[in-house]
Amino acid sequence: MQTVLSIAADSLAYGMVLFIISIGLSVTMGLMKVVNLAHGAFAMIGGYIACYATQQLGLPFGVGIVAAVVGTVLIGIPLERFLYRRIYGAPELTQVLMTIGITFIIIGIANFALGPTLKTIPLPSQLQGPVDLGFRSIAAHKLFAVAVGLVVAAALWFIVERTPFGVRLRASVDDAAMAGALGVRTKMVYAVSFALAIGLAALGGVVGAQLLPIEPYYALHYMVTFLVVVSVGGAGSITGALIAALLLGAVQTTGRYIMPEYGEFFFYLAVIEVVAVFPHGLMGRSK
Amino acid sequence: MSRPIRDLIAVLVLAAVAVVLFFLFPTNLALLTRIVAVMLLVLSLDLVTGFAGVATLGHAALFGAGAYAAGIAAAKFGITDPLLMLAIGAVAGSVAGALSSLVILRGHGLSQLVLSIAVVQLAHEAANKLSAWTGGSDGLSGIAPSALLGMFRFDLFGRTAFIMAVVMLLLVFVILRVVVRSPFGMLCRGIKQDPTRVRAMGAPVYSTLVKMYAIAGAVAGLGGALSAIATKVVGLDSLSFNLSAEALVMLVLGGTGKLFGAMLGALVFVWFEDRISAINPFHWLTVVGVLLVAVVLFAPNGLTGAAEAIWKRLRRARS
Amino acid sequence: MKSVFLAGLALVLSNSVAFADTIKIGVVGPFSGPAALQGKNFQAGINAWLAVNGNTIGDDTIEVIYRDLPAPDPAQSAALTQELIVSEGVQYLAGYYYTPDAMAAAPILEEGNVPMVVFNAATSAIVNASPYVVRTSFTTWQTSTPMAAVAHDRGIKKIITVVSDYGPGIDSETAFVTGFTAAGGEIVESVRMPMNTNDFSPMMQRIKDSGAEAVFAFLPAGPATLGFVQAYVENGLKDAGVTLLAPGDLTQEPDLAALGDNALGLLTTFHYAVSHDSPENAAFVASATKAIGSASELSFPAVGAYDGMYVISKMIEATGGNQDAAAAVEAVKGLSWISPRGPVSINPENRHITQNIYLREVAFEDGQYINKEIQTFENQVDPGWKAP
Repeated sequence: MQTVLSIAADSLAYGMVLFIISIGLSVTMGLMKVVNLAHGAFAMIGGYIACYATQQLGLPFGVGIVAAVVGTVLIGIPLERFLYRRIYGAPELTQVLMTIGITFIIIGIANFALGPTLKTIPLPSQLQGPVDLGFRSIAAHKLFAVAVGLVVAAALWFIVERTPFGVRLRASVDDAAMAGALGVRTKMVYAVSFALAIGLAALGGVVGAQLLPIEPYYALHYMVTFLVVVSVGGAGSITGALIAALLLGAVQTTGRYIMPEYGEFFFYLAVIEVVAVFPHGLMGRSK
Repeated sequence: MSRPIRDLIAVLVLAAVAVVLFFLFPTNLALLTRIVAVMLLVLSLDLVTGFAGVATLGHAALFGAGAYAAGIAAAKFGITDPLLMLAIGAVAGSVAGALSSLVILRGHGLSQLVLSIAVVQLAHEAANKLSAWTGGSDGLSGIAPSALLGMFRFDLFGRTAFIMAVVMLLLVFVILRVVVRSPFGMLCRGIKQDPTRVRAMGAPVYSTLVKMYAIAGAVAGLGGALSAIATKVVGLDSLSFNLSAEALVMLVLGGTGKLFGAMLGALVFVWFEDRISAINPFHWLTVVGVLLVAVVLFAPNGLTGAAEAIWKRLRRARS
Repeated sequence: MKSVFLAGLALVLSNSVAFADTIKIGVVGPFSGPAALQGKNFQAGINAWLAVNGNTIGDDTIEVIYRDLPAPDPAQSAALTQELIVSEGVQYLAGYYYTPDAMAAAPILEEGNVPMVVFNAATSAIVNASPYVVRTSFTTWQTSTPMAAVAHDRGIKKIITVVSDYGPGIDSETAFVTGFTAAGGEIVESVRMPMNTNDFSPMMQRIKDSGAEAVFAFLPAGPATLGFVQAYVENGLKDAGVTLLAPGDLTQEPDLAALGDNALGLLTTFHYAVSHDSPENAAFVASATKAIGSASELSFPAVGAYDGMYVISKMIEATGGNQDAAAAVEAVKGLSWISPRGPVSINPENRHITQNIYLREVAFEDGQYINKEIQTFENQVDPGWKAP
């Protein structure tokens, strides 16, 4: 029993980290219909900024997170204006080519400017120690990740479903021409959603940095993980991404505990099973 | 011009390019052979993605199947005749193609991409696990192909390997020209444009795509076997997501749905990467990234698409 | 057609004979990509050697040509190696970070009449792939085996092994298990983790449940080590007194700052620590630091490259700058010298380096984390090598 609870706790924590770093991609892929393979690169930029703010400038962790999100969005805005805007509505393969190109450029620059070594983001003392759950102890930063994940999910759901911006966003996605005719400034809506998506990427990069350390090849290392979580959940669905992240996190954690030798087999077999049963993802809308 | 004549011209042009490269770069034949192997992979990808509309980021599974099958045949069973190794690679690739299509065709669009990723990752893991057969991450070594036709040894300069590769590429090219123009090929294009309509017409969508996958698998498997023969070592990279993604990048770079596009994309990408990384081994990745972005901005239909556009404009200007 | 090739061949050969005053060394390594740090260390080791010894040997000038091979990719390795030999006309090949890349280069050496000095790739069997391979790094067997004696000497009876599931991990596991069971210890469990594991909590839970007194772990140097060591501490294993033993890949110096206090007290066995106390090492670290630009990036591949350059220089001296791979390799068999890592020699039987392996403890001294050497296992050969 204790083992089961223990695995459950680890699964939840790991799944939430997966959720936080993937949810931004779900926004780009589901709502903006852009296969943004550079998502991890923005998460990495966020991680680097937070690392610089906390280590070099000695700012507190919270300020580091805010700096990471704001800084990444500022870097992302010109990219959206000059590059991404050209591939909205383009065929998926063209988007793949462009965003892989952007990923390569960002990796190259990071490697050149910041060096190939690992970077860490020091945690505040409150998040460092273990927390006793009764049946076992778990790292405080993992609980923090769980909390952040829940807040992000709730906030995002609220923005998309309950605000005027969300209405315009969903309208632009369903029929950009019609939304434009009705007075929705679709370009602006897209730019804001893009900023939202990469802001979430940056947040995920920082909060997840304890499990996925920041280094120049971060963007390529975890590209597959992000893609898998988003598509299993159904692109654009917040609940879908949440369920997918928790499910895949549980499969991976349990697999690693019981039969680590075949851990990856479980993971990908689960992916195949889910996608075969739900071809549009768990909560995806069929077109 | 009638079709056979146009085909003949195409083959002659390709052969001429190969001969020119052969004499222009006599010391780079190993690279050129590697490019031919990659071309076969990208051609194979073009068959399923460009012609039949299946999006995949796991195509290296077929290439790797061919490479490992040929490599294992040589290293563990002593089948060292290069032509036999190529045949084994083609068969293994074809079987792998048909099997993987059963999984990949279950999805559409994004989910298809993810299924294909799952397939290649499973294949990669399996090859890592079966290290008694595959050498695992250390690579499968001990492949010693015997002389081609009993006469031509695989030499340091890579001449035999290159000539064999080019002859094979030309054969594959001719066969694929026939395949893509056949009623079967047309059916595949139809499925790409509108599967529902093809199904309504009473044509079998699923089995047609499985067949196309089997053909594509044979082509990719040949590429893998060629790589095993020329390199004498097979590594896990031949079964990787990275190679799959690179192949897709090359295909889009060259232009999808065209055999020339696939070959041009592979040639330009690998050659460019090799040259750039030789000039600056430390920071070339940025330059490759800039190239890809530039292609999307200035040649959205790939290099062959851009060439066609220029060609059309010239003809219009003349008339 | 044949005559054109003979002419080409003659041109290449005459190049290396007529202009023997420049001797080219082709270095293949990961200069970009996830292991770019290690490639950078190859270059730092080479430049450090050139800075100390100059770039001339006798009348000959050395020129180093770099080729990037960012990931294990035998096909590209074979293409680069072939191009270096026939197009650039290199007389020596060096570098090679990953095993399959070295394996793919080996079959070309004999025909190309070129010796290869491996700066890193650590699988025992590489030296069997060609008689022209010499290695100045280490093997995973060599660095893992002494840990069995360490565990035994410390009175540890029950151990669980946890390794990354790929070639070097399996080598490391086999080496340790062989040594530890021979010494009378008990292996309670052997776990292999997938390469891309990033959450190590489940592993730690398993280690706890196994009831072992210590854990022997192998992970490649780089990002994963951070999560592993952190999980080890966070899951209370360190506090519970479960000793963590590992080959030094886990605590390579550039990662130590990131591992931080979590790593303090970890025991690792390895062939080289940047903090090794000797005049040779002080000189090496000074010039290698200058070459790499930042002291925090210096790591073990640099010393493999530095010693590799020494071996190549001896080969050039012995052959008078002529291209004669057999004579060059013959000349360095049995060669012994004082390396920055301590006394070393080239084993004439398998052309692999014989060296001291040190037990080190991660410590914090003078404002930085170091691998502090606390015990020496002298003159270790490669226990994993089997005659072909």
